[in-house]
Amino acid sequence: MSAPDDQSERSDVELVQASQKGDLQSFEILVARHRDKIYARAYSMMRNEDEALDLSQDAWIKGWQRLAQFQGDSSFVTWMTRIVINLCLDQIRKHKRQRLDSIDALDETAGGVERLLPAVEINPTEGMERTELRRRIDGALAKLSEEHRTALVLHEFEELEYKEIARRMNCSIGTVMSRLFYARRRMAGLLAGLKRESAE
Amino acid sequence: MNQELELKLQAWVDGELSEAEARRMQNLIATDPAADALAAELRDVKALLSGAEMARTVPEGREFYWSKIERQIQAERSVASAPAPNWLAGWRRLLMPLAGLAAAACVVLVTVKQSVPSPNFDVVASTDASMETMMYHDQSAGLTVVWLQDKNAGNGAEAVTADDNSPMTD
Repeated sequence: MSAPDDQSERSDVELVQASQKGDLQSFEILVARHRDKIYARAYSMMRNEDEALDLSQDAWIKGWQRLAQFQGDSSFVTWMTRIVINLCLDQIRKHKRQRLDSIDALDETAGGVERLLPAVEINPTEGMERTELRRRIDGALAKLSEEHRTALVLHEFEELEYKEIARRMNCSIGTVMSRLFYARRRMAGLLAGLKRESAE
Repeated sequence: MNQELELKLQAWVDGELSEAEARRMQNLIATDPAADALAAELRDVKALLSGAEMARTVPEGREFYWSKIERQIQAERSVASAPAPNWLAGWRRLLMPLAGLAAAACVVLVTVKQSVPSPNFDVVASTDASMETMMYHDQSAGLTVVWLQDKNAGNGAEAVTADDNSPMTD
């Protein structure tokens, strides 16, 4: 769990307690220890290095401001992940408001082109390194719209139920199901292409 | 297969259905090859994504990344620790607009008082003992009626009317 540049042997619990008393140095160790994970989650959702960087830093600032509210019900990094996800969701809402084109909304109501495609068999793990597979999956995720990717990230990476995703994304459960379905079918199509590629 | 059924199939893959509905989906998969293929695809994608989030490293050094966070925290700390304004300054801030309001009200009051014309009545006097007077004043209409009657003259009565803003005649 410890980052290579983190020399502290103190546990997260100890560091959080010291931070809650106003010890900024302890908080800095927590940041150094978990910053990659928080940044990775922001990047998974935003697919933009600058935005992910800014949002992850904003999450740490918010985390410091709300430290008194952290009761230890979950791990500190889980709590921080929740904060960064909420910031990313706010940012995605801003993006949506700024977008003039509503192709995504159209896809959602119509079920998307992928809905009509026949189901494919995918097994790209054959003959592929785990790291390479992750890279390919990451590339496929990048091709999804923000809303569909977010639903998938919250369901598969954050392991949230439909109801909780709907609450976080401020939409109905039906919309969550539709977004997940569309996203998975698209992912299946993209990863099936990989299988054909590796077979050639 | 309609969209509702597809979404139910997905909910079954995600373990979001009740037992009764899950049984219905299992029956559907057993009898419908298209539903079976779709369920398999959804399961594959789910399995592939599970724990497959790409690990990433912050593209900035520890010190540089922390400096922005620290700067913001310190800025908020300095705002929070700024000395609170003393009570006199607080009261002054509160009373200043009230004092201004009071002064303005005084000016308006004086101006209005000066601009309203005072009733201008001529003095009605009679030294004749045979003269009898009756007076009626209507406050709402601003009207005063003075009835003068010479008891010796019989019907030689004369009514004089005046509104409050005009000189009274006798």
